[in-house]
Amino acid sequence: MRTARWRPLLAALGGLAAGSALLGLSRRWLFPVAVAGESMTPAFEDGDYVLVRRGHPPRGDAATGLVVCVRGPEDRLLLKRIVGIPGDSLRIGDRVFVGGHPLLEPYVRGEAPAESFRGVRLLHDDEYVVLGDHRAASTDSRDFGPVRPEQIEGIAWLRYWPPERAGLVRREARRFAPPEGETAGESGDSPMEG
Amino acid sequence: MQIRPFIERLVRPQTTAYAHCDLPCGVYDPAQARIEAESVKACQTRYQDAANFHGANQTLEEYRGRAIAIKEQRADMVKHHLWVLWTDYFTAAHAEKFPELHQLFWTATKEAGAAKKSQDPAQGQKLLDAIAEIDRIFWETKKA
Repeated sequence: MRTARWRPLLAALGGLAAGSALLGLSRRWLFPVAVAGESMTPAFEDGDYVLVRRGHPPRGDAATGLVVCVRGPEDRLLLKRIVGIPGDSLRIGDRVFVGGHPLLEPYVRGEAPAESFRGVRLLHDDEYVVLGDHRAASTDSRDFGPVRPEQIEGIAWLRYWPPERAGLVRREARRFAPPEGETAGESGDSPMEG
Repeated sequence: MQIRPFIERLVRPQTTAYAHCDLPCGVYDPAQARIEAESVKACQTRYQDAANFHGANQTLEEYRGRAIAIKEQRADMVKHHLWVLWTDYFTAAHAEKFPELHQLFWTATKEAGAAKKSQDPAQGQKLLDAIAEIDRIFWETKKA
């Protein structure tokens, strides 16, 4: 009889403990961030709230196109997209070329300033290149160079604010522009063309 | 009590992830368009008052011809700077907050186009007024 009287309270306490444990556990896997700035528009707007999955990016192609939280210069946490992965031969001008082939980047906003050209860079085993989608208004690997995996603190997983744009964050799988979009001399296959 | 701001405060993260640009955001400034538009209006004024402005070594027609040529270039620069602002600086969220934004850019760029055909400084002033409206919204967004 005494147990029955206390049952609702015990249930409430149990629920609270379970909730806290879940919250604690989820904090181990996820952390929320508020987006500040406009270098990731239109995918992320200033003032968006995003849940970030803790951890480094997966190896290989699966990392390309992921939006990640990176510990940048001055210890600032940055939100950028992975464009170059270890082993890539990367050239960044007004477009991004991997191994001489131009990437198709539907997520990019506006024009990229051509003066961001930095020559071809072969990315080492522990180097990732991260760029903002709004290329003309982003401080990223073009400025501070490639980042190491341990600088990547998590992968953007879910936008939960504002509610009307809430949803899972999509990875933009790497795609190349069709051959006719190639700049003369980039492919190296047809020196007579262009 | 408004529910939305209340909920937003509840779910606001403590951590900030910067999607930022270290270049001065002065790369975007309606002042660029305004200065070019002032040149447009000045060319219109000088066209009208060419008799007082043209030098001894050029005819009235030559001076007016120059005024039109320079006005043409400057009006194109106005369009360019406005489009950079419109497409690169302003976002969907800005347009939502300032619903008149698209119409203002439409009006301002149309006025820049009209300035190529008009030698009337009053038309140049219309262009400047439209840019002033965009400038006002621009600085409102900077306060946010």
